[in-house]
Amino acid sequence: MRDVRGDVVRRQLMADHGIEVQDVRTVCGYLIEGDTSSEAIAARVDDVFADPIIEHGATNELMLSSAFFETVPEGVVSVGFKPGVTDNPGKAATDGFLTLFPDDRNARIATYITYAFYGLPEGCDLQWLAGTLHNGLIERTVVATAEQCTARAWPQLDYPTPPEQVFIEPQPVNLEVSDDELESISTQGLLALNLAEMQAIQAHYRDPQTRAVRKAAGVSPDAPTDVELECLAQTWSEHCKHKIFASKIHHVDEETGEDTVIDSLFKTHIMKPTHDMQNEVDWLLSVFHDNSGVIAWDDEWSVCMKAETHNSPSALDPYGGAMTGIVGVNRDILGTGLGARPIANTDVFCFGPPDWEGDLPDNLFHPSRVLRGVHAGVRVGGNESGIPTVNGAIVFDDRYIGKPLVYCGTVGIMPRTLGDGRPSHVKTPVAGDIVYMVGGRVGYDGIHGATFSSLELTEESPSSAVQIGDPITQKKMLDMVLEARDAGLISCITDNGAGGLSSSIGEMAEYTNGCEIDLAKVPLKQAGLSPWEILVSESQERMTIAVRPEDQAAFESLAHLHEVEATPVATFTSTGVFHVRYNETTVAYLPIEFLHDGVPQLELESAWAPPEHLPFAPPKDADHNRLLLGMLQRPNIASKETWVRQYDHEVIAQTAVKPFVGVERDGPGDAGLIAPLHGNPHGLVISCGIAPRYSDIDAGAMAAAAIDEAVRNAVCVGLDVDKMAGLDNFCWPDPIESTKTPDGRFKLAQLVRANRELERVCRAYRLPCVSGKDSMKNDYGSGPDKISIPPTLLFSLFGDHPDVRFTATSDFKQAGDRVYLVGSSRQELGASEVAFMLTESGASPGIGGTVPQLNHPQDNLATYRVLANTIRQGLVRTAHDCSEGGLAVALAEMCIGGRLGAEIDVDGTGEGDLWGRLWGESLGRIVVAVAPENDETFRTAMKGHPLTVLGNVNETDALVVVDGDEELIASPVDALVEAWKGTLDLTGGVA
Amino acid sequence: MTPHVAVLFGFGINCDHETKAVFELVGATAERIHVNRFVSGAASLSDYDILAVPGGFSFGDHLGSGRLLGNRMRFAMRDALRAFVDAGKPIIGICNGFQVLVKTGLLPGPEANQSPDFIQRASLTLNDSGRYEDRWVTLEFDPESPCIWTKGMTRMECPVRHGEGKFVMPSAEDLDRLAANRQLTVRYVDPKAPADTHSSDSVLPYPISPNGSMRNIAGICDSTGLVFGLMPHPEAVYARWLHPNHTHPSSKAVGDAMDGWEGEGLQLFRNAVDHVKATRQG
Repeated sequence: MRDVRGDVVRRQLMADHGIEVQDVRTVCGYLIEGDTSSEAIAARVDDVFADPIIEHGATNELMLSSAFFETVPEGVVSVGFKPGVTDNPGKAATDGFLTLFPDDRNARIATYITYAFYGLPEGCDLQWLAGTLHNGLIERTVVATAEQCTARAWPQLDYPTPPEQVFIEPQPVNLEVSDDELESISTQGLLALNLAEMQAIQAHYRDPQTRAVRKAAGVSPDAPTDVELECLAQTWSEHCKHKIFASKIHHVDEETGEDTVIDSLFKTHIMKPTHDMQNEVDWLLSVFHDNSGVIAWDDEWSVCMKAETHNSPSALDPYGGAMTGIVGVNRDILGTGLGARPIANTDVFCFGPPDWEGDLPDNLFHPSRVLRGVHAGVRVGGNESGIPTVNGAIVFDDRYIGKPLVYCGTVGIMPRTLGDGRPSHVKTPVAGDIVYMVGGRVGYDGIHGATFSSLELTEESPSSAVQIGDPITQKKMLDMVLEARDAGLISCITDNGAGGLSSSIGEMAEYTNGCEIDLAKVPLKQAGLSPWEILVSESQERMTIAVRPEDQAAFESLAHLHEVEATPVATFTSTGVFHVRYNETTVAYLPIEFLHDGVPQLELESAWAPPEHLPFAPPKDADHNRLLLGMLQRPNIASKETWVRQYDHEVIAQTAVKPFVGVERDGPGDAGLIAPLHGNPHGLVISCGIAPRYSDIDAGAMAAAAIDEAVRNAVCVGLDVDKMAGLDNFCWPDPIESTKTPDGRFKLAQLVRANRELERVCRAYRLPCVSGKDSMKNDYGSGPDKISIPPTLLFSLFGDHPDVRFTATSDFKQAGDRVYLVGSSRQELGASEVAFMLTESGASPGIGGTVPQLNHPQDNLATYRVLANTIRQGLVRTAHDCSEGGLAVALAEMCIGGRLGAEIDVDGTGEGDLWGRLWGESLGRIVVAVAPENDETFRTAMKGHPLTVLGNVNETDALVVVDGDEELIASPVDALVEAWKGTLDLTGGVA
Repeated sequence: MTPHVAVLFGFGINCDHETKAVFELVGATAERIHVNRFVSGAASLSDYDILAVPGGFSFGDHLGSGRLLGNRMRFAMRDALRAFVDAGKPIIGICNGFQVLVKTGLLPGPEANQSPDFIQRASLTLNDSGRYEDRWVTLEFDPESPCIWTKGMTRMECPVRHGEGKFVMPSAEDLDRLAANRQLTVRYVDPKAPADTHSSDSVLPYPISPNGSMRNIAGICDSTGLVFGLMPHPEAVYARWLHPNHTHPSSKAVGDAMDGWEGEGLQLFRNAVDHVKATRQG
């Protein structure tokens, strides 16, 4: 019987390190603590731990010592979790064990894997080998060298007992200290509060009225308790309060001489435009204030969407960080309104180059390992939750080595009204409601995630900020919560994410203006957690749900049925106080108003001067054939199929346009299109746009490009452009000027420009941003070695599609179809993919030049509207977005999808020179192919919009591109396929 | 009569909504029922005419896919399941559901004319590729199989979405026995092979066989043909708009159902519903 787990390790060592190992065998180990005798367990080993058909089981002896390992391996590595780290297989094993031994209620099982190596290359260091197989932050490992193997001295792991937690009684923190000391309290406590914020807290406790109230409540009158300080730090964190987006910015433009003050980028450029649009349409049901934005989709159903990032945790533990990212954003959907059901995921990643050969700063993983880990985390999180991943992207740039970006998005659906008549997008809590914590328990894992992500990454970043998600616990909770919603049992619900109970109950308490929590009631993973830890721990898989007292019994019985833990931990009040007790002792007593609105507004400086680049100047005698193959191999363009195919993109039986399309199902899909109501072809489009490298020239252009790309992608499948909504997810390097960040003014100016473009383009496209998020400290280290990411806006879009049967895909369909360019090409090659490629190879001095501009977005919208109509009328079955790599790459991808050739003339496609027309990345362009019988109707429909005939699809099996009389490209489609699909298959094959 | 279908869910099953929907599209009534409602006795399996165990990741596939849910059913629903099978009521397991039925021992099950004995005789294990993958495959059905679910079906394209779909049995004789009984109901086939060349016993290359299953087995039935399981997802192609090539001019309507947009997979569920109707009336 083949040992596939071992084969995977063998292939991986070959693919990543060029090391050939003859054979790897694996053992799954279970460490059982409990009262059941080992004889009793041995008798049932084939009933639960070993599959009698394919595995051998052994009890009380190491498999390595047994007859099954007659041939002594040359090296052994065992990997298990560190104490306290979520062990999902262990949890499942415990569950399975209890099915057989129901009386052994306290039994606990931990798992490990042993790898036995045969035919190791000479001198292969076992510790190094172990390093490739585990992450020291969360896992432990023991090894046996060749000599130890010969001596049969096998490595053994003990049951990972977490160290005793020391319960610390809440105590006051003296803030009557100097400013320096205030800052050091913040730094040492990982509070991430600046001096002004610490002073605001200090001032609160100096207020005589505060002191009187606190004295009456029996809590330290003149100093915050540690619980209060932690709670304020969480609530006021950049992560939760978006202080930079809310700041007052003094903006100077050295190019134009502008000198202005902007009072909150968010309110000015995001919220205001959306609220203006909300006055004009009837389908924007809920924007900004909930866990995701909600739009009405038809008379019975509304849909919502949210995207988040999980960058810092993914840098430290790519697998766990990314998994908690995806299951976390799923909870945002579950926590929207009275609960929405997640029905689609999107994943967009930004990594360092997978073939990076340069140095790596301490504490950072190689980009290929980050990719592998992040991908695995999202794959497991999404697949096991039964939510299809329908759309995404992977972007590469050297600077993401310092911090990878892991964007996870989720779309949800909910009935517009519940059985009891309540609109499901409105929360209905009242004072007196009982607040439950539902799902997982609280542990030491996940303490300080919110504040940690508001700091730059360093070598000392804490391991407690990293966790591993548990999709099955969450899935059980999700099933249960949706039943509770439909039974009308939920009055208020939100996710426990950043900031834990402190944020979730704290935010919900704003509705009724008060709450009273008893932390002693919160179920714990391990005893001994101190009150402040219980309050702020971000342990996963938890929702906070409010229930009317009369519904408690029904709610608890539903939880029991689903084997989900649900514990009442708080009550809503209307006292105006966030009141936290531990048993009878008051440990926090904060005015709701101060908690949520007490944070002082930041005042920041911004200064714009355009960055300087050497110009992009391509060689005169370029071979465009070779360039095309080179471009198709670029990681930013190359097929991501190996990775994407490992996501379930079809569960729920709704995906009408999949991530890969065409006759061999390997051409790129532009947008996801789903029909979530079974038997009904009414559709929903999900797309995204991202263009971080344009920030090198102008972050404003970067933002415009991202939005236009998201819209174009959606138009390609036939989006109704009159009903679309967007999500803005900003990931920025720290834009606050300081000694750590001397160029903070410039980075903030980039943010200002991006926001201004966001407003301009979204208003022109009538595209409301209904939800968004920002992550503002995406830097590694400080000083001269600091690595800052390129400012990156991910723009996600979801919108209506009346009928998925009438859509288009990017693959050429049949010979004779006429190919058109919609839109026109300008001389816009600045920061283009071809500019980067030729600059990296030394063929061009730089990447400078005109970055793609969006000068007349309202014209683009008019064109998109007409084009999308022709698609929905069935006139156009082939449409593909033209972006990275320009027209040449778009055409090549369409040939790949259809396995058909085409003859194309780029003459007359725009004002650009040959490079601009072939490789330029001008916005607003879509390539379509139209069957001859629809040609005339199509042309008539497109009258008045920019449209150029490019040529025809043919049976030649080659893409031929000419510019008037000059032949530029003549490439067999097979060669295009090979170039495009070869680069990013890092799996080492299937042999 | 209208057959009533129990669609199991809970513990990580996740294709329950669409599985319910496809039965309803072919004229049954269907209900999503949490496993624990059968275990606790709050619901009774005997009230249903068909049992469906949908796809998903019950218990995260830990300790082997389908094993822990299989155990719950094997130990806590044993009598009810035996009675259900003995009553001649159809059961289907799709993907994770197939894994569950194999690990409970309901598939391939004992020799003909014997009640279920809940002994595991086969397994579904990690794909040779080592990867979970979502990809479309071509299936070929054995026209001689006693399986009531696949009557009249010949070939079909539909997706596989699994990491542990490699069907194995301890010996060639075990497989020969199933083959002789025509229990190897559905197998992976090269889509380019002519329709009359039946799938071979030697393992087809990846990705035609997505997992390296012995004899390219994608699904099997028990000796009665009533209990059936398969790794691919026929419910995922209930409508033609779910087929990856539906934008291609070669995609044409077959029949009038759903305005010509019925997908190939729906017939499988219609077969079972029709079977129940026919046997009840007879």
